[in-house]
Amino acid sequence: MSCESEQYMSLMNKVLDQEATKQEEEALFAHLAVCDECRVHFNELKTATELLRRLTHPHLPASFTKNVLDQLPPDKRHAIRRWGSRHPVLTTVALCAVPMSLVMIGTRRQWKEKSGYALVKMSGDQT
Amino acid sequence: MDLKEKRLIKKVRKGDQQAFAELVEQYKNSVFGICLRMVGNTQEAEDLSQEAFIRAYKHIDQYDHERKFSTWLFRIATNLSIDFLRRRKNNVSLDAVVPGTEGLSLNTILPDEGEKPDDRIVRKETEEMVQMEIKKLPEKYRLAIILKYIEDLSLKEISEIMDIPVGTVKTRIHRGREMLRKNMIEGGKTV
Ligand SMILES: [Zn+2]
Repeated sequence: MSCESEQYMSLMNKVLDQEATKQEEEALFAHLAVCDECRVHFNELKTATELLRRLTHPHLPASFTKNVLDQLPPDKRHAIRRWGSRHPVLTTVALCAVPMSLVMIGTRRQWKEKSGYALVKMSGDQT
Repeated sequence: MDLKEKRLIKKVRKGDQQAFAELVEQYKNSVFGICLRMVGNTQEAEDLSQEAFIRAYKHIDQYDHERKFSTWLFRIATNLSIDFLRRRKNNVSLDAVVPGTEGLSLNTILPDEGEKPDDRIVRKETEEMVQMEIKKLPEKYRLAIILKYIEDLSLKEISEIMDIPVGTVKTRIHRGREMLRKNMIEGGKTV
């Protein structure tokens, strides 16, 4: 811009940012009335911002949310199962240790069934 | 931040994926808008948006609940977009076709009720022109312009998302705006 002063450029920015005082706004418009160069410049800036504001907001399909959910790590409330699949040996030991210790207090049969089920299910998870 | 959102985030912290789904629904289009205008391609923007939400979920414990959730989320999305642009710049040779506005098909533009087909085409052409001009901006100006004019965020929010002082945000908006003006005028007086 070859208009004598940068002053009007910063005024234009203030007005466009809606941060100008009433006085500043009047000073700018008084200048625009007599300076073609600044008037064109200001109008071009305004047009540019209006075009930006008019850009449509694209919408994602409803399937987006489902796709995100499908990719989330397993529910944290099932953390034990997740831990188990990462440390299969430790889990096996842990799961065996439970009925082993229960042998001594005499509830062997009941827990053997449960741990057996857990082990089968776990090896299924690994494959 | 409103109470409902606070409650949702509390549930998400405990691993409630249904609560997280509500947050995704709430913010997906804003996140997509930021990514799309940053990278200029629908498919890539959708992938980046997905990644942003997955990251937010995995790292929800790092979210500072004193701040707006959207600010944190948009920051994740803008960082991913910028990383993506850097990667693309490094991977794509200069003479390869630079993806332009191919992402902005008619499908991504919602038809207005009662809009004539001709108007729709004109609008599409205008959109493509504006998107092309946005893409010409250096990244730091582009992001400030997108957050301000497309997402309509406050200077304070933009400064938190971009992690720069409010004064710097203003300067970037001014420079970006001036560059857009100049390029649009030089770009064939289409404005
Ligand atoms: Zn002047």
